[in-house]
Amino acid sequence: MINYFFRKFAIILLILSPLLLSADEVVDAGKALFKNNCAQCHAKNMKSNATGPALGGVEERWADYPREDLYNWVRNSQAMIGSGHPKATELWSQYKPTVMQAFPKLTDPDIESILAYVNYQVAGGGAVATSAGAGAGGEAVKAGTPKWVYWALFAFLALLSTVLARIISSFNVIAAKKAGVPYVQKTLLQTLTSKGVIGFLLFAGVILGGYTTVNNAISLGRQQGYAPEQPIAFSHATHAGVHKIDCQYCHDGARRSKHGVIPAANTCMNCHKAITVGSKHGTAEITKIYASVGFDPISNKYIEGYEDMSQDEIKDIYTKWIGDTYKTENSLEELDKTGTKLVETQWNNIVSSLTNEQKKSIYGPIEWTRIHNLPDHVYFNHSQHVTIGKLECQNCHGAVEEMETMAQHAPLSMGWCINCHRETEVQFGDNEYYKSYAKYHEELAAGIKDKVTVEDIGGLECQKCHY
Amino acid sequence: MNKNSVWIGEKDLNRDEAFLETVDKEFGTAEVLENTEAVAEQPANRRDFLKFLGFGLGAATIAAGCDIPVKRAIPYVIKPDSIVPGVATYYASTYVDGGDYCPILVKCREGRPIKIEGNDLSPLTQGGTSGRAQASVLGLYDTNRFRAPQIKGANGLSKATWADIDKTVIAKLATSKNIRIVTNTILSPTTKEVLKDFQAKYPQTKVVTYDPVSSAAILEANEMTFGDRVIPDYKFDKADVIVSFGADFLGSWISPVEFARDYISKRKPTLENPKMSRHIQVEGHMSMTGSNADNRVLIKPSEQGESIAFLHGKIVGGSGGGKLNAKAKLSLTKAAAELKAARGKSIVISASNNPYEQILINDINNTLGNYGNTMSFAHASLQRQGDEKELAALISEVEGGRVDTVILMGANPAYDTANGAAFTAAMAKVATTISLDYQPNETNASFNIVAPTHHFLESWGDAEAKRGQLSVIQPTISPLFDTRQAELSLLTWSNSSNAKSEQPYLDYIKNSWKNNQFGRQSKFASFSSFWENALHDGIVTVNGGGTGGSFNVDVALAKAKVSKPGSGEVEIAFYETVNMGNGQFATNPWLQEMPDPVARTTWGNYLAVPVKFNGLKKFIGGLGGDDLKDGDLVKLTVSGTEFTVPVIQQFGMAPGTVALALGYGRTAAGACGTGVGVNVNNSLTTDNGLNQYYNTDVSVSGIVGKEEHFSCVQYHNTIGVKAANADGEVINADEATLGQTAYGVGITGYQGSLTERSVIFPTNLKELKNNVAHLKSKRKAFAKLNDATLYPYEEYVDTKYSQGHYWGMHVDLNSCIGCNACTVACVAENNVPVVGKKEVSRHHEMTWLRIDRYFFGDAENPNTVYQPMMCQHCDNAPCENVCPVNATNHSSEGLNQMAYNRCVGTRYCANNCPYKVRRFNWLDYTTADIFPANQPKVNGEEIPFGADNLTRMVLNPDVTVRSRGVIEKCSFCVQRLQEGKLTAKKEGRRLEDTDVRTACQTACPTGAITFGDRNNKNGDLTKKWKSDLNYHALEEINVRSSVMYTMKVVNRDESMDA
Repeated sequence: MINYFFRKFAIILLILSPLLLSADEVVDAGKALFKNNCAQCHAKNMKSNATGPALGGVEERWADYPREDLYNWVRNSQAMIGSGHPKATELWSQYKPTVMQAFPKLTDPDIESILAYVNYQVAGGGAVATSAGAGAGGEAVKAGTPKWVYWALFAFLALLSTVLARIISSFNVIAAKKAGVPYVQKTLLQTLTSKGVIGFLLFAGVILGGYTTVNNAISLGRQQGYAPEQPIAFSHATHAGVHKIDCQYCHDGARRSKHGVIPAANTCMNCHKAITVGSKHGTAEITKIYASVGFDPISNKYIEGYEDMSQDEIKDIYTKWIGDTYKTENSLEELDKTGTKLVETQWNNIVSSLTNEQKKSIYGPIEWTRIHNLPDHVYFNHSQHVTIGKLECQNCHGAVEEMETMAQHAPLSMGWCINCHRETEVQFGDNEYYKSYAKYHEELAAGIKDKVTVEDIGGLECQKCHY
Repeated sequence: MNKNSVWIGEKDLNRDEAFLETVDKEFGTAEVLENTEAVAEQPANRRDFLKFLGFGLGAATIAAGCDIPVKRAIPYVIKPDSIVPGVATYYASTYVDGGDYCPILVKCREGRPIKIEGNDLSPLTQGGTSGRAQASVLGLYDTNRFRAPQIKGANGLSKATWADIDKTVIAKLATSKNIRIVTNTILSPTTKEVLKDFQAKYPQTKVVTYDPVSSAAILEANEMTFGDRVIPDYKFDKADVIVSFGADFLGSWISPVEFARDYISKRKPTLENPKMSRHIQVEGHMSMTGSNADNRVLIKPSEQGESIAFLHGKIVGGSGGGKLNAKAKLSLTKAAAELKAARGKSIVISASNNPYEQILINDINNTLGNYGNTMSFAHASLQRQGDEKELAALISEVEGGRVDTVILMGANPAYDTANGAAFTAAMAKVATTISLDYQPNETNASFNIVAPTHHFLESWGDAEAKRGQLSVIQPTISPLFDTRQAELSLLTWSNSSNAKSEQPYLDYIKNSWKNNQFGRQSKFASFSSFWENALHDGIVTVNGGGTGGSFNVDVALAKAKVSKPGSGEVEIAFYETVNMGNGQFATNPWLQEMPDPVARTTWGNYLAVPVKFNGLKKFIGGLGGDDLKDGDLVKLTVSGTEFTVPVIQQFGMAPGTVALALGYGRTAAGACGTGVGVNVNNSLTTDNGLNQYYNTDVSVSGIVGKEEHFSCVQYHNTIGVKAANADGEVINADEATLGQTAYGVGITGYQGSLTERSVIFPTNLKELKNNVAHLKSKRKAFAKLNDATLYPYEEYVDTKYSQGHYWGMHVDLNSCIGCNACTVACVAENNVPVVGKKEVSRHHEMTWLRIDRYFFGDAENPNTVYQPMMCQHCDNAPCENVCPVNATNHSSEGLNQMAYNRCVGTRYCANNCPYKVRRFNWLDYTTADIFPANQPKVNGEEIPFGADNLTRMVLNPDVTVRSRGVIEKCSFCVQRLQEGKLTAKKEGRRLEDTDVRTACQTACPTGAITFGDRNNKNGDLTKKWKSDLNYHALEEINVRSSVMYTMKVVNRDESMDA
């Protein structure tokens, strides 16, 4: 009886385990790749369109063409469009002018795992995918990873141990009977409240508690997804998305400094001298810039002696501006009730946004809420990554051009940094500086190495970031 | 006593048992360790522990539940074009404090000056700096500064507006009969013009100039000899023989940065060219310059006149110096012969403040043909202009009731002169006293109008340190407080400034330069290009003018008037230290904590007493019969005034001589300087109206106590100290225990055993060849030992470091003069905390770079070698292996990295470091955490020094501020390396050694430190590493250090001491 159970159990395990693992691996790899490369534009559920189209069913859509074409499309769509591929041209006419970023670093297996993940997601995260000709990986995907298997296993094991316990107990009774010793069989309750079981539960509790504590402690201070309300409802989606203003036009430190630099109000004024009314918020937000620098949009001039003006004087200037704009927009001679209220609300909003306990005057810098916070013991330099590493801003900051309210995209954890340093290839070829890595150059030339990663030149060492 | 042995001090030489016991202990004696009450003022018991534990858990739980604090990002309103947040900008300026001068570059981040670098365009300093110049940036953020103008009313000084001040002052000046402006040396030609304008408006004005440490006798002597009241241009780079009578020209005399650079250029012997200058120092106490000398002639302070007269007799002829001690006579006779042999290639100088002695010096130099060769008047130095006789005259004028207004302009006569008490008393009789200082001091404490000036980093200005060598001072930050530049105040009062201008003093300077300086050159055709260029470079050289007259003076009369030796048993020498000056720098905690190079004491002045060898293995104090030990308190009586001072035993003192530093014991120097040490300025005597920096009416009592916090760092973090084992054999004290239990007595050269350690290799120039051969054979033996390993080093280096960068350093011990500029630069660059006297006494000083002092040779008159000791970045680092959390590990560029955020404070690494360079944050010195109990006060200040937001403005934003409980150490300025690499990458070129320079390297006035990439075959470092004189410290223990030192070569003539 026992033998029978064990044999059966072992057989089930043997059959299931490799299948489960390999399928998991591929999908997990795909998930990671998707998150790092695709998630900025493609929706995670694979069913709805975001910047890029929904990826669900992509294989069917490309089924008429060789698999290679799909790979190339993912790696460099613009090149394919250029070469006049019929499917590519069709897609381009549908989605232009949105350009899909090129991903030359993705290998064929990489793309396969992304596709596996896409299918996994489409199937609601558990259904068996139907992939054709995907080689060894494809078989694994077919097997799927049903979660109920684990639960069934767990239930089965629990049952097994109960049965075994009963059997042992019965044997003990028999043995006691044989020896002529009186033996009282333990009830289930007695077994469950026995020292052994309680001890085990305590032990498990400590392990589980410790694990949770450590995990939570590690994520203490992390702010992924942090999207605080800002003093000005500045929309990156409008500026970077719709108007396609280059990130570095405003964040001009990114290419030359450790700081990306939050632009000074005079950078805003470069455009907002002319654009005085916003598309979404009208005068509500842009007036805040004017109030902080002392610009009078009515006369189109900076106000002399603005620093020393009282709040009432300032109020007169900007409430007039808001009111006038309202009147013009609604072709009114006098402010109506709504208009008066609007002026009042907007002005109050300006005051509350631009002043706080420390800063009493409206004039002066706009105090933004800082989103990306690194601990003091971390040194990070934007220019190293932007100018030397030639990374896109979106790599770390996500699809900012779609963000109405700026949010922290990346976890900014050390693990996240390290992962990127492990994978990213150094721009080795065209920078004379890297000539000092003579050995790597030789190895690259000889084909021993196919790329030099940041890790290879010491990018994982403590004192590259901590000093 | 072996002539070649090296020792660190008396305790080492005597094999002091108590000391040796501490050497192998990492953190000092039990006494020091037990004294931990600063952490929690009452002893903690088990209950407290549980309480804290409970609190900790509770706090952590609450903290975990709290939101992360909201941080603000505040951009500029209008961003200046020249500023990119995160990128440093450098402005050329000039550090000037009285006659103290150094052309500098000021590093600013986000508009805050945070670091001083030398200006290498200056022909005088060539990029060198001093500790004082390095520390001057902290003065900007001094919490002790005046923050607004003040006027004295019924209730003492109260805040006033500038308009009030101007109204009051102008009214007072208009009715004043006699106005006196008291100042130290003024280097600025424009300030002098301002004073002239002021005198034109108020003709009843006289300017009284004096110097805190006077060189008036040289000025007077030159006036009498050549008719030119200046200090000549000394060219130490052209001198083969230098004889200095007590002039500390490398440390504090006239222009030490310039002199050090020139002096060292003649002292770099190599095997191929074994030549160096000869330097003979004639003095009573061991000065920093004396410690660098080849030969020292020991005289009592009062014998200086006789010694000069004696040398004069030997060189010029005639008798003189008959009363000099016999040994000195012999030495000086030999010195005279050497000088004669080096005609026109020698310099004889003296710090004597007796003009007649200086005339004899002039005559000696004239006879030797030095004028026009090693000394000249063409670019004569203007760095000392003061005359204390003017001050004495002022006091008597005031006492006669003739002066009704005194304007104090950056001087402190109530403290730093011999007649300070008289000056203070006299000021009470002056109706109007106006202070133009930037911080309170002993003098302006009683003044009734305070019109504070800017710090020099907030000011416009100029300086002419030598005739024709102009430099510009430009502001690097807007004034932090409601202050106004002193010159502008004077101009306002004399109605000569343009009140409508935004920067009236800038206009004034430009105008003055246009009229006075532009015409002195022909390189620039337009004034604007001349000015722009001067502003960019910070310096400009124009025609000097002035050549000095012909030699014409009554030498015989001078000879008769030299000072006569005293007859007392004990004499005292007063000297200016490298860090404190005569108290001008007492408010600066970086300088207070910088060890005196020779005595290695901090936070106070210690009475240096001689150690005398009595033939046994024991030194005894040379005075009072008692066996004076370091830190004993004695009663010192000078001219009837009694002081209680701690004692430090000092080698190389003349018998019967004690010495005490000036510049301590200030009573109004803010939180940092008040009450540190004792003030001995009032014990100075005067002769011919000039201050004499010695006193012959001295007695020293026996021990009256023990200093509470003995803050000398000489016996902290020692390496290579020798002891004797039971059999009387010499062993290393710091490995004594290990050796005796595990290995028995070792053989010389045997790895890991009890051997003579290779820390310092001194040699005489004459024996250079032999000693280099000896060094080579030693290093060969070390190499053999070190190569006996399973992990061949060369292979390791080849796989790990053959590409990319491989950092290394070279320290030329022949160039190092021990001035400590590097130590202060390191403190400034790396946010190294100041810990205060008490913590220093507990071995808790935090400096990453220390300068070890070793003596060698003759115990009665030893030579000195200074060894800058910082983390050696060992490739086989013992610290790395013992860290349980891998917080310290090795980089692919050969750096020994320290990750503070990973350190848990076991201190195993510090324990295992053979060089003792790791520092532990015992307390929260820079207030990085939230528990105020952990934040020590440096000198009883209200807000702990490191916690004050004003002081913290000086912190380098690129370097982590360390919190309590972590180890820190020299990082080879990794932030500079990373920045240098980034610059090279951005410019798309290979890294050059000039891209990466450590803070200590750029600060060094003599270029003793060279940092670079060992893989750069054409780099500076590769060249330096090739010398045969090089070695690694402790090479035999196979740690594979990345720092190389050179053998110390002295050009000592042993026969001089016979």
